[in-house]
Amino acid sequence: MKKRIVFVFVLLLTIGILFAQPAQETSSSDKPVELTFWSLFTGGDGEFFDAMIKEFNESQNEVKMVNSMVKFDDYYTKLTTALAAKTAPDVVVCHQANLLNYVPNGSFLALDQYIDKTTLDDFQQEPLNACRFDGKLYSLPLDVHPIVFYYNKDILKEAGITTLPSSAEDFIKDSQIIKEKTGKWGMLVDNTTGTYKAYTLTRLFFSMMKQEGGSFLTSDNKKANFNNEKGVAALNFLKDTVNTYKINPDQLDYDAAMNQFKLGEGAFYFNGVWATGTLETVKGLNFGAAPLPAFFGKEDWAWAGSHTLAIPTQKNQDPKKVQAAVKFIEWMTAHGELWAKAGHIPTRKSVAAKDSFKALPYRADYVGAAQYAMPSPSTAAWNEIYGTSSDLLEAAVTKNQDTKTALANMEKVVNEIISKY
Amino acid sequence: MRKISSYHRRKTIRTGLLCILDILIILIWLFPLAWLFITSLKLEQDVVSRSFSFWPEHPTWYNYTKAFTSTYILKWLLNSLFVSVLTTILTILVDTPIAYAFAKIRFKGRNVLFWIVMAGMMVPFQVLIVPLYLQFNSYGLINSLVAAVLPRVAFPIGIFIMKQFFQDIPDALEEAAFIDGANRWTIFRKIILPLGKASITTVVILSFINAWNDFLWPLIVINDNIKYTITVGVANFQGTQGTQYSLIMAGAAIASLPQIIFFLIFRKQIIEGIAMSGIKG
Amino acid sequence: MIPGNRDTRDGILFSLPFLVVFFFFMVYPLLFGLYISFFKWNILSSPTFIGWKNYVDLFRDAKFYSSLLHTLEFVVITTPILLLLGFAMALVVTGKSPMAGLLETVFFIPYIFSMTVVATLWAWIMQKDFGIINQAILLLGGQRIGWLTDEKYAMWSVCIATFWWTAGFNMVLFTAGIKQIPQEVYESAEIDGANSWQRMTHITIPLVAPTTVLCLILQVIASFNVFGQVYVMTGGGPAGSTRVLIQYIYETGFQYFRMGYSAAMSYVLFVIMLIVSVAQYAVLGKRKEA
Repeated sequence: MKKRIVFVFVLLLTIGILFAQPAQETSSSDKPVELTFWSLFTGGDGEFFDAMIKEFNESQNEVKMVNSMVKFDDYYTKLTTALAAKTAPDVVVCHQANLLNYVPNGSFLALDQYIDKTTLDDFQQEPLNACRFDGKLYSLPLDVHPIVFYYNKDILKEAGITTLPSSAEDFIKDSQIIKEKTGKWGMLVDNTTGTYKAYTLTRLFFSMMKQEGGSFLTSDNKKANFNNEKGVAALNFLKDTVNTYKINPDQLDYDAAMNQFKLGEGAFYFNGVWATGTLETVKGLNFGAAPLPAFFGKEDWAWAGSHTLAIPTQKNQDPKKVQAAVKFIEWMTAHGELWAKAGHIPTRKSVAAKDSFKALPYRADYVGAAQYAMPSPSTAAWNEIYGTSSDLLEAAVTKNQDTKTALANMEKVVNEIISKY
Repeated sequence: MRKISSYHRRKTIRTGLLCILDILIILIWLFPLAWLFITSLKLEQDVVSRSFSFWPEHPTWYNYTKAFTSTYILKWLLNSLFVSVLTTILTILVDTPIAYAFAKIRFKGRNVLFWIVMAGMMVPFQVLIVPLYLQFNSYGLINSLVAAVLPRVAFPIGIFIMKQFFQDIPDALEEAAFIDGANRWTIFRKIILPLGKASITTVVILSFINAWNDFLWPLIVINDNIKYTITVGVANFQGTQGTQYSLIMAGAAIASLPQIIFFLIFRKQIIEGIAMSGIKG
Repeated sequence: MIPGNRDTRDGILFSLPFLVVFFFFMVYPLLFGLYISFFKWNILSSPTFIGWKNYVDLFRDAKFYSSLLHTLEFVVITTPILLLLGFAMALVVTGKSPMAGLLETVFFIPYIFSMTVVATLWAWIMQKDFGIINQAILLLGGQRIGWLTDEKYAMWSVCIATFWWTAGFNMVLFTAGIKQIPQEVYESAEIDGANSWQRMTHITIPLVAPTTVLCLILQVIASFNVFGQVYVMTGGGPAGSTRVLIQYIYETGFQYFRMGYSAAMSYVLFVIMLIVSVAQYAVLGKRKEA
């Protein structure tokens, strides 16, 4: 009996060996330069991105890009580990907020000498400058993805609302009318950790702080700056919509918020522009998109992330590969209208001017939001601050904690975190 | 005269009730798996919809065909097979002798060594990632399936389990063999291995399962999409900005199917093997 | 005792293959981790020596304590229940049940699945709006429960998924232990008039003690190391209320780029586990050998 088991094992092992080793490709100088790329885009985003890479490969013969998907949760772990051993791929995607973790230690190549002025001028300057450190450029932004809000046209019609709310009071008033007349939720802001953290809650708080003329951290990023009337106003709004006015569901997580909107259960859905790609596929959802309004009357700022493309430094940098990588990055950004299919806002003016981009519904409605995109504070402590504040804001809203106490506590915690870096 | 013994009747009723109870337990216990499969046969809009329906309205293999045509899923399965089989073989090769040593050989420093080995089970893997990666890089093994195998070969649980079972093999057998002139290696091969078969089988199963399900390390050390193991590849069905339950369930089903088939085929041997444990008299 | 005693030589030789692999892929990286715990290191730059500072900091870190507490919560909930479940399953499976063999397979099958599959499946089953448990509750006229989003239930929900996933493993070990008890012992007890409950409490439980100790030690170690299923099912939420220590260790190292601090916490956890295991073995293991 044991012999038979062993035999089967060995048989399987042999089959495994025969098939598990991929065929080695030898590259001659006539063949295209082969580049590797690690993509953190999976699911719907991943499909759009892969389609772009396929088109890039088909559009020319000099460079072939091979893409490997890594789930977002683990992407940076893998990237950092590889960079530590200098075995990172030829091109990587890196969120603008994370650049600070890689640029100062020389993990990414400075790109100034490889990109000509015409190309650089074609970029929106805000997102481009966010990729500069000490005057040098370390990556090119592929997109800007701010928080916007989506609205359900059918619900608004049924409730008799003809103009979109543009202030915090408007949202509360309109949502109450909606609740009365249609029984649906007014606002859908996720406020609980599920598969994803309560991103929207936290990002709205950041946005509101800046909208009110304040900021989450002081301008030198050394101290918390939200334990004041501005923070109180913002947190009260987010708390009261859930607990006092009951126009936003409690214990709502990211997936649930999106699903509720998809099913037509809520009128105003807050999320990043990337949701457009998914929402479009829902049959029968009659929706619109608009930039985030100034809740408290001052400015239109909205938290925004930005996916940027960078070239890791290697132990033996192959100049041919670098040229090929630059070519790839330039092509991808120049064809941002393909990426916009996922909902993202392109960063190059030439792309925004293209007919194919203008023909995409919804994107035109919020493309202006790129102007008011708010990048993350430039401090190494940011990831920890972001994650921890998110937890604290979650607790404050879902447990209806006293606003001033919650903010004071959050300030203490954030300052402690900053001191550790 | 025919008399139905009341004892007999009670026994039949009892057996009947037990049967029903058993079936109920089986249905409840297997329900999550059934639900996984049912969900995978639905289209996403039927999964997340206002009207809940248990069965798929239009059952479809869409998620499966999508997985098979737009990813390297078959390749991933073969990669996992290679990694799991190789890990298991190497694990048995290194674990069994030391288990025997701990169980039967009284050598100096045995207890300290045992605890050092046990400590290996307690180490949070996260702290090992970076040094392991740097190490494998220096061997030039990054992006190879072998790199996914090696850190999993030292399997302290296996040693622990086999040691407990080897200890129950009577010393008398060994002593008799020694008197007959056998050396330790012969005793190991001819007495310990056959009599300890049950625990070895158990460790084979556990090692295989452990290697197949390994996620974080293969994710970090394997770069090329085509070389991913199944757990790594299927994890990417989770979207960046939204969860598609039906596709994820299909991926999970595909990832687990080979192991289930393997287990169901060898179930009899596995259960018999474990049942044979314990030396009587 | 044994003629031609070459115990030490043999002992080392038989241990060698394992020790080689163990040293390279476990001990060496582990020592590296210990080394780096005395440094400030963001993985990509050179480390800076800071002596004991990481350890001092972690003993003052409220998040470290809360994470450790959540891990302990998990250990305390899962260990007794998983042992009881495994034992109960083994009793059923070795008993007179007509479908014992099938039951054994059914109970063990969940263990074959990977943690990601199990956690994703149960997260789906327990999902607040569309998960099947809440759908069933709605059908019965009740209200939806936030199994994974309500602090009252989140940790227990993760534990329940863990029970389903790993009870089968304990069952296998207990089954082997029970089968080692000779039939004659039961038979003579039955003759003496003991009923099945008494047979279980006076024969099975005491005689299966070595297996119980084995299970207990392994279970405690496994529970201390919990991370994946919590991370996938609740993300450490809601509001970080289920964040276990390993998640905090992982985040600190790879999201906050404070590898030295992460390593220091790993070591403290490691030492805690070591102390607990040695204590268990000392107190319980000795009784077994008696």
